[in-house]
Amino acid sequence: MRRALLLQLLAPLALVALAALVGTLVSTSTETYVINALVNVVIVVALYVFIGNSGVLSFGHISFVAVGAWAAGVLSMPVEEKPAIMPHLFGLLGEHTVGNIWSLALAAAVGAAYALVVGLPLMRLSGLGAGIATFGVLEITHNVLRYWEKIGPGLNTFSAVPETTGLLQASLGAALAVIVAFGYRRMRFGRLLSATREDAAAARAVGVSVYRQRLVAFVLSGALAGFAGGLLVHMLPVNTESVYLDLTFLTLAMLVIGGATSLWGAVVGALAVSAVDSFLAEAESGIHLFGRSVDFPAGTRIVVVGALMALVLILRPAGLTGGREFSVPLARPRRLLTKFAR
Amino acid sequence: MTVAVLNIDWQTLADATGLGAIYALMAVGIGLVFGVLRLVNFAYGQLVMAGAYALAFASEHGWSLWVGIPLCFAVVVTLSMLMDRIVFRPLRTQSPAVMLVATFAVAFLLQSIALLWFGPLGKIASSLATLNQPVTVSGVDIRKIAIVAIGLGALCLLALVLLLGRTRVGLHMRAAAMDFRTAELLGVRAGRVIGAAVVISGVLAAIVAVMLTVQNPLVTPDFALRDTILVLAGVVLGGMNRLVPATLGGFAIGFASGLLGGALPTNQSQYLPSFLFAAVILVLLFRPGGLFTREGQQAVERV
Amino acid sequence: MSTPLLAIEGLEVRHGAVTAVHGLSLEVDRGEIVGLIGPNGAGKSSTLHAIMGAVRPAAGDVRVRGESVVGKRPEEVARQGVALVPEGRRIFAELSVEENLKLGLAGRRTRDGADDDFARVYELFPAVRESLRRKAGTLSGGQQQQLAIARALVADPEVLLLDEPSLGLAPRMVDVVFETLVTIRDRGLAVLLVEQRAQRTVALADRSHVLANGQQRLTLGPESADDTAALVSAYMA
Repeated sequence: MRRALLLQLLAPLALVALAALVGTLVSTSTETYVINALVNVVIVVALYVFIGNSGVLSFGHISFVAVGAWAAGVLSMPVEEKPAIMPHLFGLLGEHTVGNIWSLALAAAVGAAYALVVGLPLMRLSGLGAGIATFGVLEITHNVLRYWEKIGPGLNTFSAVPETTGLLQASLGAALAVIVAFGYRRMRFGRLLSATREDAAAARAVGVSVYRQRLVAFVLSGALAGFAGGLLVHMLPVNTESVYLDLTFLTLAMLVIGGATSLWGAVVGALAVSAVDSFLAEAESGIHLFGRSVDFPAGTRIVVVGALMALVLILRPAGLTGGREFSVPLARPRRLLTKFAR
Repeated sequence: MTVAVLNIDWQTLADATGLGAIYALMAVGIGLVFGVLRLVNFAYGQLVMAGAYALAFASEHGWSLWVGIPLCFAVVVTLSMLMDRIVFRPLRTQSPAVMLVATFAVAFLLQSIALLWFGPLGKIASSLATLNQPVTVSGVDIRKIAIVAIGLGALCLLALVLLLGRTRVGLHMRAAAMDFRTAELLGVRAGRVIGAAVVISGVLAAIVAVMLTVQNPLVTPDFALRDTILVLAGVVLGGMNRLVPATLGGFAIGFASGLLGGALPTNQSQYLPSFLFAAVILVLLFRPGGLFTREGQQAVERV
Repeated sequence: MSTPLLAIEGLEVRHGAVTAVHGLSLEVDRGEIVGLIGPNGAGKSSTLHAIMGAVRPAAGDVRVRGESVVGKRPEEVARQGVALVPEGRRIFAELSVEENLKLGLAGRRTRDGADDDFARVYELFPAVRESLRRKAGTLSGGQQQQLAIARALVADPEVLLLDEPSLGLAPRMVDVVFETLVTIRDRGLAVLLVEQRAQRTVALADRSHVLANGQQRLTLGPESADDTAALVSAYMA
């Protein structure tokens, strides 16, 4: 039992490590894809913490990624660069610059705080209501970040942010997210929340506050998403469009394809879809494959990912992993043996 | 000649009403399908987009309107039915949240297919451009499309009222929207009712496509995306459970954004979506049945 | 012996892990009222839902005129001439009384003779006729129940299933409803009546089956109406 539990943590970690290892072996341009995939792992694990454990849909998590990216980007940009990119910034924000670790921690904190503010009212909703309300949060966040130039670059892009998210930080970040998500799931909070997912009425009947449990998960996943936003802005130049509908779609697809109800599913989905997506992205700019030149037109990526997602939803709604945690396949032959022994 | 209070001229007012009428039709299209399937179709805008591409295709090939418009209808209605057959039907037993994610996926899928097929630059649907010309009504210049939109919108709504109120399939649709299970138990054919809703909502999308391409002849993969998001907000604000409030909600959003977009300077109207969606969230929290429904009619699932 | 209009054989209905009905068999022929009585959760409604095809039986068969309807959709079963008056009436409160009645037409096999059926229904329920234009939700509970039965009859069924028609009605209205059932039976319909009011049902029905925990415990004829309470409680223990 203990070992099975340990495996549930080690298997996703091993996958993250494997991805990191692949990253060290490939060319610099491919390494970018690996780093991106690892940041995606953080976002999808954040989604899993809330959606997977509560069973409530959220279209709003990319807002937390966005505010995380904004916090980290605004604060870590060198002071001398700020006036050019963010001329209307609040005085205080314009005069300070923080280091890498602080920037990521702040991103997580801002993500959590925003999730708390949003979650306080919204965690009363579920089902369709939650889906639409969280979509509203995404719209509002996008709208405000786009036009409020006192807190960021507005329509501009976050260039000149130190590019500290390399392979090392991305893999450490992904591992951290996995450990946090696993720890949460094992804690009382996580167990209670999954109980509400299985049967909300029964959980209420034994005195579990569904609202409070959801809020805890929402804030934690907001922190992880904010953290991911920090990693993202330190990886590539972000603007409002890169943390909006496309990323929402892509990460939700990863979660659904992998299997929303397990950490293993989240990591598998994030890495598998990222791999497919990177391959196609590369193919869109033309690659050589088996001696032939392949050149997919722009848009192929989303078509393939969208089709994959629709297929998984229709044929295997619990996702590739069946929504279960990783377990050793060795257990099965043993069961077979006992069957024969009888 | 201006309406004094907000410094809105008659032309803006007419344009806003026209946009309201278009949005009202979209709201009906979304509301009808929601009524019978309990499915919020994020991909509704992509139906409109497909219709717009059909029009652009026809206009680039120099085909007459009499070919272009039927082509637009055929494409949109077929796509609407395919969407139901391939995606919605297998998912009918899933939770509303799963269906919402699925339509979200379909929306992206269709948008990328358009990108793949037609490229990011866009096509021009110019056959109806003459409708952008103004006519002078008692000294006021009003774009023809505003008049057409208002007229056509009113006509469609009237036709719908008659269809829903006076025909058998209309009665069955209304009953199914209120209580699908009981309607089925009484012998109402579920497949026929859903099929009718899907086809009608497709027809409405096609009409909307025609009118939106007049307003904006440049057809890109994200054509009608913003409009759909706004209409969805309007439908929730009005009350998605019921058709009339949903339609009113759609109209109100179109009218308001047309009016404010025309009357306010950009630096004041740019936060409009935020206020809109803040209102949506407030409605979901405190009046889940919508603003335009009476108390006691609020049956949207809560928890 | 001719085939009965409605025959249930070894019916088993499960909701997940719970077995709601276990091995129920009964027959209803034209001109008969058969009662199905038992406490809440005994499996009475599940039986009706299984007949209509709203839930799929785990085992057993449901035959209408000797033909199995298992696996058919509710709309198809309705067209076989089976009409249900659902529990809690389930009228469409927002629709007019007339529209509610027209919905009953959905279950008809043919349009022919619909006008006659409307006339007969109006004769049976004058109160319904008087309020055709009103919204059904504004009717009293008893009138709503009459409307629900009228709606089922408009479909011109041969088999009428009623799920607790007396629920929440004033005693006087219960009398009206039960008298109506006699008229309906005398017109040659097969009536399957699910009820909690055991004694009245036993007195009215040609046979009454007692159901508890999904199992058929006992069958009573009208002669045992006065002893129903004692008999039933003895078997429930």
